[in-house]
Amino acid sequence: MDTPTEADETAIRARADLLTSIVLVGLGLTIFYLSWTMPRLEARHIHPATIPGLVPLILSVGLTLCGALLGLRSWRIEAEGGWRGLAGIFTTRQALRVLVILGLALVHTLILVGWLPFWAAAMLFIFAFIMIFETWLADGPITPLSTLGWAIAIAVFGGGGIYLVFERIFLVRLP
Amino acid sequence: MFDGLLLLGQGIGHFLTPAALFNVAWATLLGVVIGILPGLTATMGVALLVTLTYKMAPDQAILTLMCVYLGAIYGGSRTAILLNIPGTPANAAATLDGHPLAQQGKAGLAMGLATTSSTLGTLVGIFFLAIIAPFLAEAALKFGSYEFFWLALFGVVISGQMTGSDTPLKGYIAGILGLLVAMVGMETLHAHQRFTFGISQLGGGIDLIPAMVGAFGLAEILSAMKRNAVAHVASVNDRVVPTFREIFRYWKTIIRSGVIGTFIGIIPGVGEDVGSWTSYAAAKRASKHPEEFGKGSQEGLIAAETGDNAVVSAAMIPTLTLALPGSAAAAVLIAAMYIHGIRPGPMIMVENPVFLYQVVAMLLLATLANLVFGLSLTKVFIQVLRVPRQRLMAVIYILCVVGSFAITQRMFDVYVMLGFGVFGFILREMKYPMAPMVLGIVLGDLLDLNLRRGLLLTNGDPTPFFTRPISAVICLIIVFTILMSIPAVSKRVRALFTRGRAAPAQG
Repeated sequence: MDTPTEADETAIRARADLLTSIVLVGLGLTIFYLSWTMPRLEARHIHPATIPGLVPLILSVGLTLCGALLGLRSWRIEAEGGWRGLAGIFTTRQALRVLVILGLALVHTLILVGWLPFWAAAMLFIFAFIMIFETWLADGPITPLSTLGWAIAIAVFGGGGIYLVFERIFLVRLP
Repeated sequence: MFDGLLLLGQGIGHFLTPAALFNVAWATLLGVVIGILPGLTATMGVALLVTLTYKMAPDQAILTLMCVYLGAIYGGSRTAILLNIPGTPANAAATLDGHPLAQQGKAGLAMGLATTSSTLGTLVGIFFLAIIAPFLAEAALKFGSYEFFWLALFGVVISGQMTGSDTPLKGYIAGILGLLVAMVGMETLHAHQRFTFGISQLGGGIDLIPAMVGAFGLAEILSAMKRNAVAHVASVNDRVVPTFREIFRYWKTIIRSGVIGTFIGIIPGVGEDVGSWTSYAAAKRASKHPEEFGKGSQEGLIAAETGDNAVVSAAMIPTLTLALPGSAAAAVLIAAMYIHGIRPGPMIMVENPVFLYQVVAMLLLATLANLVFGLSLTKVFIQVLRVPRQRLMAVIYILCVVGSFAITQRMFDVYVMLGFGVFGFILREMKYPMAPMVLGIVLGDLLDLNLRRGLLLTNGDPTPFFTRPISAVICLIIVFTILMSIPAVSKRVRALFTRGRAAPAQG
């Protein structure tokens, strides 16, 4: 079920909204507590109406209120099969595509950058990205040799080009 | 009046140099390409380009960013017509009539109409920018902390109300989340560090550019790559340059859409997509042939494309005179202006009046470049549409890393980009609009500082927030906006008006 129907989508969103509303109310209450207990700088004799926690406190009330209203709204929507649909989203090919990109991005940014020179990390990322999305997760027919050629070319020219343009021509420091 | 014309002349003259014209040419072309590519938006383009313009002179840097912005909003219409996918969210309304025209074998005419109406829309917006901005800047000099507090709140509330496609509630939540993000770091009144949890990098707060690159760059990559649909590009076999008659028979639609776009642009944080949809709806209501709308109406396409481009110019009115961004991309422009030492806000006409007219000149040059490229490079742009997205998105991610790192040269900002990318993607998937969040991040500090400074001035008495005339008006508009977003209230208010209109008809 890669492409849910409109009715399915409404049901799934209603349940997702319900979950989000719980998170939002929780977040709102946490921020309320943190703002309430934030130092009021009495030692510096500041006016009590100008305490640093004032605006976060007001915002946390707003967030809690909006979160609760969203929860109420989504609770009222008829959502037959909403929970099942919501759980099903995480097993779709679309979810896999998103997770693969996130995985690649995390490996590139948290591991490769700093361990390899920036241009090399960039080339590796571009190469892996194109190879994966033109073979394993391809939309259409797979042409491995052509993909390999394009992946190498774009990795070299893209990664190398960004390095040259930014660091050498525009004198911008890279990670 | 004549001073204004003189300054405008100077503004245009200032950019008539080979270097500036070269910047106009490449930046507009890049903007159009960004707009054409589905998944790359104007905001993302401007956010990524801030890095590239970092070492440029301030006027050339803003000129470059402005050209990218305008080019991208225009370029998105190509994708809407040829692929039936809006190149940027601003062009969603253009798909309704643009693509049916292409299917009827009139792709060239549709592109020509979109190009000319984009230019005319920008010109209407520019006209109002040049007229309204100086007066608004002068009026804003009388604004105090009270008014600025309400203006900041007004921006977030109205943006939340108008961009929340699912329910205004989601727009408000996005706005509050943005405001809360702005609360992180050292506050400006007492220099107290809030919500930093001992992380020293959070001391200065969360920078707008990495957050925007994440929310509009990485989040867009994830959204674009999630889909696995491959669309078919419509062929172009007819002429692209429209005749004067084809355009000017719709002069009323052009002027109406331009004025609507301008009005939407002036409202902080509302943006081009709302401008385009509102103009389209108004054109349909006023048209002699409303039944043709959605089936290839030239009038519908003209209305949509005039409306969104008028927003770009008009968004500069609050951006320059009040430092309240008129759209998400304008928020990045404000950040870029600060980086280059230009301070938008009420003092602009006192400190730097030339700059306002330079912006007018930038928009004029960018729209001329759009017109020339749009009518002459059709075949090249069609080739751009055929680039497989996975080959492009891989390179775009690397640009996101560079774009978020380069301004302050901290890996922390790259992690912020990653965080906002994931957060932005989840919010988008759940139909939360991004514009109020961006506006919240930009206006959070202004709102916080002015509320507490106002209270400090009155020794804790909030009365002036409600009794000063301008404050009272903005406050009433905010209350009315929030009330109107409650279905039960809005239904009753609307019923009052329809009953009022129905009564004379019956009598």
